[in-house]
Amino acid sequence: MAHQADAKRMLDERGYSGPQIHDQNPAHLLEKAVRDRIVDSYYWKEQCFAINEATLCDRAVDMTFIGGTYGQQKPTPFLCLTLKLLQLMPERDIVLEYLHQDDFKYLSALAAFYVRLTFNSKDVYTTLEPMLADYRKLRRRTRDGGYALTYLDQFIDDLLTKERVCATSLRKLPPRTILEDVGQLDLRESPLGAELDDLDRDDSDGSVLEVGANGGPDSMNGHAAYSDSDRSRNST
Amino acid sequence: MASKRMTANPVKPARYRPGKPVAEDPSSDEEDESDEEQEIVTQPPPKATSFPSDARKVAANLGKVDLHNAKTQALRGEEAKNQAERVARAIADEGFVTEESEEERNSESESESDGSEESEEEESSSEDEPAPKLLRPTFIKKDQRKEGVHVAEVKDEDDRWAEEEARRKEKADSMIQEQLEKDAAARAAGKKDWDDDEVQEVEQVDDTDGLDPETERAAWKLRELRRVKREREAIELAEKEREEIERRRNLSAEERDAEDKEFLEAQKEEREGRGKMSYMQKYFHKGAFFQDDAAAEGLANRDLMGSRIADDVTNRELLPQYMQIRDMTKLGRKGRTKYKDLKSEDTGRWGEEAGRGPKRDGVDERFMPDRKGGGERSGANAAPIGERRKAPDGAPTGPSAHRPGGGDRYQPQVEDGRPSRRERSYSRTPSPSRRRRRSYSRTPPRRRDRRRSPSYSRSPSPRRERYRNDAPRRKRSRSHHDHHSSDKRQRVEAY
Repeated sequence: MAHQADAKRMLDERGYSGPQIHDQNPAHLLEKAVRDRIVDSYYWKEQCFAINEATLCDRAVDMTFIGGTYGQQKPTPFLCLTLKLLQLMPERDIVLEYLHQDDFKYLSALAAFYVRLTFNSKDVYTTLEPMLADYRKLRRRTRDGGYALTYLDQFIDDLLTKERVCATSLRKLPPRTILEDVGQLDLRESPLGAELDDLDRDDSDGSVLEVGANGGPDSMNGHAAYSDSDRSRNST
Repeated sequence: MASKRMTANPVKPARYRPGKPVAEDPSSDEEDESDEEQEIVTQPPPKATSFPSDARKVAANLGKVDLHNAKTQALRGEEAKNQAERVARAIADEGFVTEESEEERNSESESESDGSEESEEEESSSEDEPAPKLLRPTFIKKDQRKEGVHVAEVKDEDDRWAEEEARRKEKADSMIQEQLEKDAAARAAGKKDWDDDEVQEVEQVDDTDGLDPETERAAWKLRELRRVKREREAIELAEKEREEIERRRNLSAEERDAEDKEFLEAQKEEREGRGKMSYMQKYFHKGAFFQDDAAAEGLANRDLMGSRIADDVTNRELLPQYMQIRDMTKLGRKGRTKYKDLKSEDTGRWGEEAGRGPKRDGVDERFMPDRKGGGERSGANAAPIGERRKAPDGAPTGPSAHRPGGGDRYQPQVEDGRPSRRERSYSRTPSPSRRRRRSYSRTPPRRRDRRRSPSYSRSPSPRRERYRNDAPRRKRSRSHHDHHSSDKRQRVEAY
């Protein structure tokens, strides 16, 4: 389908007949109230018009916080760009590229949000769990307009666990145990890995945290070292 | 001269008032003008106003109007003409300046310049102030003149105003420019968001990484451990559930029942262990929504109804009836009615004063009533009455006779002085004292005297009266008839 400059087709109330995600109009992954707020906002009208996956990166670079709506239901640029991504429906490769690039953490967060909304359960787990090792700081805008500090791994944990993140009611994700039982997933190996075993063996209390053999920071700041096999396995 | 009118309305021509001199023609007054002109010229109006020139001219001349002066009307046109002439002359001459003509020229020049904005206060004040003293025009030698006040002023009006406008615009532009630059700088510095309208001085939340790698890593480890712990606990919980299910399955049926019984017993004990509500205690529901929060604070199983509030009344029955309510905060509020039934809510004193007559005790003996014991009837009504005459047997009876209970039941006042039972019992059946003396025929006894045969049976044949014994005939037991009135007190017969 040709690239549409605006989201008119997708936001049409009369019906949508394009490609669907989870058997529904992709824009319907966000709630109607939120969608209306986004479409009425200045950011959407000015900045999110006629952008494609490449120019979206320019917008994403200017992002300084994540969040849902704040103040009097004003949507954040994060949320507006999410809707734009849902309209664009970029390919899987592009999304993963967004996710794994290291320069712009807010773009990674955006991609993670998109993954959680659109990928199927198995892929959500396999894609997002490696990000749990990334402890870069994020700024989150709260409902009352103030800022809060959070971390990328915390954000991803919320995506995997909570029901409502960033003004969106997330699709229900089956718990990991069920997927493990079925066999689609393997048991999760925490990035702490070996350290955990040490802790268990010693049976000491959790106050002593050792910066063990795996503890050296990676070349990129903020990443915990994890086994390469994980990464290569998960990035498809 | 102060204007007679304080309004800005145009002056209408003077009305004709009989007996007063009429406004004369302008042509006849020309010779007087030169003299009177000078008297009438007032302080010049302000240099720039928002009024159009015509209005201003009129307004300027308003102060010079004297309604009662018949020549005013003629003067106005003349004056304008003269001023115009003077200005033209001054411009042409360039040298001849008089103070008076200066004033006049000022007033004329401002009428020429249109649209200039200045305060109108000067104008109004000019009308109010008295006319300044006018000097006779004198010639000033060229070296003694002070130049620059005359013609330049004519042109300065417009220029000055234009200058001011330009200045103001510049200022506004520069302010806007400043603001924009500030915004751009703030955005460039990353402190302000894309369309953030409020300028935030400092972003308190700092999201730069790498400020303190060890601390950050340690924090991350903590979070990761917590997540792992959470997962493990979930797994354990699931395991326990499964175990429990397995175990129960392996038990036999009786053991299962025993366990269930135990559980139920425990539940019951818990429920009974809670205190009971006192009499009329306010009911508090524990709420359906914040159960998780309550559990987190350890308030899951508290005993709401069994506990007593320190402020609450311990024994509500000791309070007056009005204050016996569940919720003492509603005491005295409007709309609180605790309606029980009509009889208890009734505040009337029915029949209490009916029997009382005038005061009979502390009264002179001459005024005491004749009969003691308070007869029911007084005066002419106190006469003894005979029995009521009934229709003879066999007479056709009216519809009231067929009513349940026997129809008409009027009973006269008992004369033995006792308060008649009739007053108290509102039932239709006759009083028991009567009952016992009679046979239990269906018709109620009408009167106490025994002139008539006791059984007032309805059957016309007299033969039957002898064998009348209704006792075995009664289908229903007689015990119900004993309590005719709702009065369940024991009745003691006087005789």
